[in-house]
Amino acid sequence: MQTMSPAQWVMTFILRPLGQLLLFIVGSAVLLTVISYIIALLIPFPNPEAALRPNAIALADFLSARLAPIIVGGIVIGFVYAMIALGYTLVYGVLKFINFAHSEIFMVGAVVGFEVIKSIEASGTLAEWNPIPLVILMASAGMLVSGLLAVVIERVAYRPLRGAPRLVPLISAIGVSLFLIDAVRAIMAITRGDFNLIYPLNGLPWTDSIKIQLPEAALTVRPTQIIVVVAAILMLLFLNYFVNGTKLGRGIRAVSQDATTAGLMGIDANRMISLTFFVGGALGGVAGVLFALNTGKAEPTMGFAPGIVAFTAAVLGGIGSVPGALLGGLALGMVRSFLDFMLSFFPMFGSRYTDIFTFAILILILIFRPSGILGERVDEKV
Amino acid sequence: MLLDVRGLTKRFGGLVAVNNVEIQIPERSISAIIGPNGAGKTTLFNLLTGIYEPDTGSIQFDGRSLIGLRPDQVNARGMTRTFQSIRLFHNMSVLENVMVGMHSRLPHVSLLQTLFRLPSFDEREKKVKARASELLRFVGLGGRGDEISRNLPYGDQRRVELARALAGDPKLVLLDEPTAGMNPNESEDAKDLFRRVRDELGVTVVLIEHDMKVVMGISEHITVLDYGQKIAEGSPADIRANPRVIEAYLGRRAAGTDYGEKTKHETPEGTM
Amino acid sequence: MTTPTAVKLKTRPDVPLWKNPVAVGIFIVVYVIVITLILLSLDRRDTWFPLKTTLAFPPLALAPLLIINAPLSRWAKAIGLFLLLGFVLPLVGIYDTNYLELLIQISIFSALALGLNIVVGFAGLLDLGYVAFFAVGAYLWAMFTSTADTVFKLNNMLVPGSGLVTLPLINLQIAAFPLFLVIGVVIAAIFGIVLGLPVLRLRGDYLAIVTLGFGEVIRVLVNNLDKPINLTNGAQGLHNVAAPSSTFLIGPLDLAFEFLRSIVKTNSSVTPESVQQQILLYFIAISLVGIIMVLANRLDNSPIGRAWTAIREDEVAAIAMGVPLVRMKLLAFATGAACAGAVGVLYGAKQTFVSPESFQLTQSINILAMVIVGGLGGIRGVLLGATVVTLLNLQVLTNFSLQINSLRNINYVASANTIRVIIAIPFILLTYWALRLVMKNDQLERIDAFPYVRFRKDIKPLQQAIMIGRVVVLVIAGVLIMASIRDFPIKDWPTQLTPDKYQRFVFGILLILMMIFRPEGLLPEPRRAMELGHAEAELHKLKEIEDAS
Repeated sequence: MQTMSPAQWVMTFILRPLGQLLLFIVGSAVLLTVISYIIALLIPFPNPEAALRPNAIALADFLSARLAPIIVGGIVIGFVYAMIALGYTLVYGVLKFINFAHSEIFMVGAVVGFEVIKSIEASGTLAEWNPIPLVILMASAGMLVSGLLAVVIERVAYRPLRGAPRLVPLISAIGVSLFLIDAVRAIMAITRGDFNLIYPLNGLPWTDSIKIQLPEAALTVRPTQIIVVVAAILMLLFLNYFVNGTKLGRGIRAVSQDATTAGLMGIDANRMISLTFFVGGALGGVAGVLFALNTGKAEPTMGFAPGIVAFTAAVLGGIGSVPGALLGGLALGMVRSFLDFMLSFFPMFGSRYTDIFTFAILILILIFRPSGILGERVDEKV
Repeated sequence: MLLDVRGLTKRFGGLVAVNNVEIQIPERSISAIIGPNGAGKTTLFNLLTGIYEPDTGSIQFDGRSLIGLRPDQVNARGMTRTFQSIRLFHNMSVLENVMVGMHSRLPHVSLLQTLFRLPSFDEREKKVKARASELLRFVGLGGRGDEISRNLPYGDQRRVELARALAGDPKLVLLDEPTAGMNPNESEDAKDLFRRVRDELGVTVVLIEHDMKVVMGISEHITVLDYGQKIAEGSPADIRANPRVIEAYLGRRAAGTDYGEKTKHETPEGTM
Repeated sequence: MTTPTAVKLKTRPDVPLWKNPVAVGIFIVVYVIVITLILLSLDRRDTWFPLKTTLAFPPLALAPLLIINAPLSRWAKAIGLFLLLGFVLPLVGIYDTNYLELLIQISIFSALALGLNIVVGFAGLLDLGYVAFFAVGAYLWAMFTSTADTVFKLNNMLVPGSGLVTLPLINLQIAAFPLFLVIGVVIAAIFGIVLGLPVLRLRGDYLAIVTLGFGEVIRVLVNNLDKPINLTNGAQGLHNVAAPSSTFLIGPLDLAFEFLRSIVKTNSSVTPESVQQQILLYFIAISLVGIIMVLANRLDNSPIGRAWTAIREDEVAAIAMGVPLVRMKLLAFATGAACAGAVGVLYGAKQTFVSPESFQLTQSINILAMVIVGGLGGIRGVLLGATVVTLLNLQVLTNFSLQINSLRNINYVASANTIRVIIAIPFILLTYWALRLVMKNDQLERIDAFPYVRFRKDIKPLQQAIMIGRVVVLVIAGVLIMASIRDFPIKDWPTQLTPDKYQRFVFGILLILMMIFRPEGLLPEPRRAMELGHAEAELHKLKEIEDAS
């Protein structure tokens, strides 16, 4: 492999991916803003009762006031979804298999992060910790545990089933998912007596919200949101470098494309698969820590909902494609943020309808463009 | 003409798999489609049976167009096929495999009949079983209907595939490399079987084949494809001597030599 | 085809005893009587009651399956089932209504599992949202008969106390419950087709996720359809759902009670009136199971069944042979959904309170687990799976919790040796079975993940050493664990660790182990065993290539 000059390296592995991410974010934000305004202009008063009140505010005005937080929220959750989606897509790439248990690996990361921060709290020094090393510690712990867990799961529950009809590993994955939820519940029940784990973030000096004054309204940004975005970007940059710029990453890509030939070229498929699971699991673990930091809590069943959304994101972007998972995650995060806002104005929809719309997106993609936005068409040879 | 194909074209991205192909197949005939690997022969079959949809062109079968029909609809119109790699229902018995081939045959079986086991249901089942057994006897597998198809030797599996394709009482049957992997004895038996399909059952046969002994032995008419295009057609004698055909299989230098004569002496494997 | 039984016992010495109809018949009769008497003699107040009832009841619940699988003539089976299901089980149910509840639940889930088996087992379409159709049936009945303030409140059309509904316009009175069974079937089938249409082209994993999503969507919709117009009463659920009239049972029940009182001491608070509703539902439930069994069997042995098998094996070949994929797949979804719809109506009538909580994803997975554990595709296997899983969920785990509680109340201390014995038994069984596997080469690849020794000649010495090492480590660990076990006072059992809330744990492990060691299920259907067994052969080949490279 030809060596790159430092400038080329920065260009390929830092600037270009950053540019991609920026494109995905800005693109989806702009698109959704436009669509939302169109809807707001067509239906200024979705709630007929509210329209009759004296100081009725039109939907468009609400939108303008809240646009900044909607977009920020979309970015934050979008990055989390992107990281989880990468776990699904990487595993699908090498094994053509949806790791149903990935959502629980995500959850385990959040729980591990909780344990770390709790033990620091127990030592009484939590308030003195600088947030950056704290987050790095939590994220590393989450990464390591989730990654190893994923490798063990593959070895124990999936590898013996290679070659079996599709139904069999899928059921096994469901079994792993169920097992993990209750295993964590049991461990938490025994060690802490409760499985709703609240991150002890109250009162920490660096958790106060930051107010930014914008033309239309004030924007409140929480430091945890900034942490999520920064950490996610760093992880994604590193992942991109790993997959595209290192020998191991090339090995993974080779096995994704054609495992037999890769084997003939001297690549140990099993090791690559284990590595893929580790990387995917690690990403899921970090996503868990960041998600829990953002929402302030963790509990054993927290993985299911983000898992389904992230899977939708992976499919939306093109399952098996790394940039696809990024695009899907960011775009879907933005979509959901806008949906949450818009749907709350229509009396016939509740807040849960965001999930229904997300699911509808999944169905539509699978019907009309199963390869996703950035995926390749694969036809069956007859 | 039972089958009249004109201007048939299919592209996959940048690759033109089938390029402006024209074929006419008369009723009660045995024809062959030959050509080097990758020439588009199987793709042609897939287009005819509705698995792919052509980009342009027309397919007239028994006076009606087949364009836009699904494979099961094409089957119902009377055109069935076998596959290049054996695609039997491996865990079903031989008899069941053939019975599936009769699914679209009248009388159609309704849900009500099935659930309530009306007399019409039992009648149909009896008839279907009888016909399937008949067909198995026809292809030389009489009495072996209860064997699991996966356990059959290769040659017998091919026969089951043929019986299954014939089960729907088709007018035309497309056979995709039916003698692949057969030894010379089996190929001879296969040739006889194909002749009997035409003579005794009145079914038109179209073969894709690489075994020249079989092709030259029973085809009345041969069409040659290369790189998706028809490069020659005619009687076996015409094709044997056609320099373009020789070039397609063996390269230009071979075409320049006397090879046309040499092909009359077959190699032990029987292939060209 | 029966021959004089007395002669058979003597003149067919080559038939093993367990295939001899007479011997088996006698065995079953004795078996049922003994188990029933044991059950009737148990005392609720006994500290060890939960354990005893968990040991005694499942054998009785499995008795119908025993009869079905026994080598008896069809008439013998029919009579046996009639007596067992019609008299013995209801009697036990009257004695202790908990048993009756369990029997009804087993029947309901058997019916559901049979329905799902049509979709997953026959047609090979992985449906993870099956509970949605169940919900449709339950909500249909509930919406029309509940006293809650929904749009559909039609309980004023019900003639009170009679279970009849007056149809508008025609002014005809017909029994409401059977009418709704039919309506449930039809509406659920429509939902099945609606679900099936968009997913026709999806395979395997994708189909699973999408159907899962559908199940969730239905649940969320039902949860939220209380505004702007109240259709389902949202999260509050529908209460006061009517039940079919059962007054006609009072007579027979009086007799049953008399008979029961003559042999055991019954609980005086249980009267024919208190029990008639459940008894009726029990009979309806087992009838549903019977009907669905017959229909499923008929579907399987028909062109439709063959078409489904063909689709499962090779879709492209199937459609090329004239099988109309779209119609066949939709038919599978519709018939599976129809079964669930009918059972749902029954469920609504039984529970008298219907809410979205009963129709979660876990329920779909439960039913799927029943089909898988029992044996995908095979009707008998599915019944076994449903019985086993339901008992596990509703009896074993619950009683485990109850037992812990009652032992806590008497300050029971489990001695170290008792614990050692309890742990040792499964461990020894596992080791014995693993060693057996070691001798059978073709299963070896499957247990690659586990530290058992492989006695294959071609294995590299290092690998062999590692494997032996693993076994040694396992044995040492086992010994250490055994040594470190101490007496354990039950009151030290953590209060949050209530087994009946840990179904997922048990299920998770169960599913994983079943997939690794017996994916074809406990009572495999012959064809699926071949399919999945064939996969073993492929796996074997793959491993050989891997090992060689």
